[in-house]
Amino acid sequence: MNTTDALLVIFAMALVTYGTRAGGIWLVGFMPMSPRLEAFLRYLAGSVLVALVVPATVRGGAAAFVAVGVTLLAMVVVRRGLVAMALGILAAALYRAFMGA
Amino acid sequence: MDTPPSARGPATLTLAGAWRGARAMVPVFIPVFVFGAAFGVAAHAAGLEGWVAALMSALVFAGASQFAVLDLWQSPVPWVTILLATFAINSRHLLLGASIRPLTRGLSTWKRYLSMTLLSDLNWAALISAEARGERDLGYMVGGGVAMWVVWLSATVIGGAVGDFTLADLQRYGLDLVMAVFFATTLFGLRRKKIDDLPWLVAGLASLAAVWWLPANWHVLAGGLAGGVAGLIQYGRRP
Repeated sequence: MNTTDALLVIFAMALVTYGTRAGGIWLVGFMPMSPRLEAFLRYLAGSVLVALVVPATVRGGAAAFVAVGVTLLAMVVVRRGLVAMALGILAAALYRAFMGA
Repeated sequence: MDTPPSARGPATLTLAGAWRGARAMVPVFIPVFVFGAAFGVAAHAAGLEGWVAALMSALVFAGASQFAVLDLWQSPVPWVTILLATFAINSRHLLLGASIRPLTRGLSTWKRYLSMTLLSDLNWAALISAEARGERDLGYMVGGGVAMWVVWLSATVIGGAVGDFTLADLQRYGLDLVMAVFFATTLFGLRRKKIDDLPWLVAGLASLAAVWWLPANWHVLAGGLAGGVAGLIQYGRRP
């Protein structure tokens, strides 16, 4: 790919990506804010997170289940995000080291 | 915790909020750096000059789509494929942006749309997690985005110049899982008693169904929308 094409591709990608970033609040702007819409948006936020975590965990295999499982367990026990994340990652690294996955 | 956002007044956009948001990103600096450096290495291998890769990281700032386009880096340029892939992978931003619309209440249009240039999964997750604790400053997302942008861009440059590690190395250290556990802790903080159970279950099942049956990259959009609609139906049936 020559330099002109490369620059055009990057600018086009940047435009499309910005469109996705700005498009959400733009589209919602057409709907009148109501308790119903706000309820929907709040469910949307949680559901997006679920849709990020669940497939990543399933596709990541056993080590991913260990990481996410230990993290959630640690959240229940210590309720500190950083500590829970560290324990989850540590558990997954140990699992991979000793199970040879 | 069940107060609707509208009851909490207008949002703000301040430097103090940006600083809080930037600090919230510290736990993911290392994984973001490692992924950025991996992108620098991969881009170099795909034949991109260092400054081209850096420009892409600076302007596009969306890792998964940047990696995807490296496979399409050829002449003649496969425009349709490149732009479709970029849109598909980044379409999840539509839902992220929509969900924080109430946090742009009262902000001017240019502040609102300028802020969205930095919208990304991790700083969005940090913002809604903070919102559940009462945060009302969109700067939280912007500051987190700036911090990630700086790390992402410098990692791309450094990776292209010196790096020689591979994704297999990332796996060994479990770093690829950092994102998943970061989102998991956010989810934990977001849960509001039992009313979230059904929508979240629907979201999880729909996202898995999308992984299995839809083309790649649509699972976040599918799961998010399905869960949102399930929540809406549940809301409509509430006594």
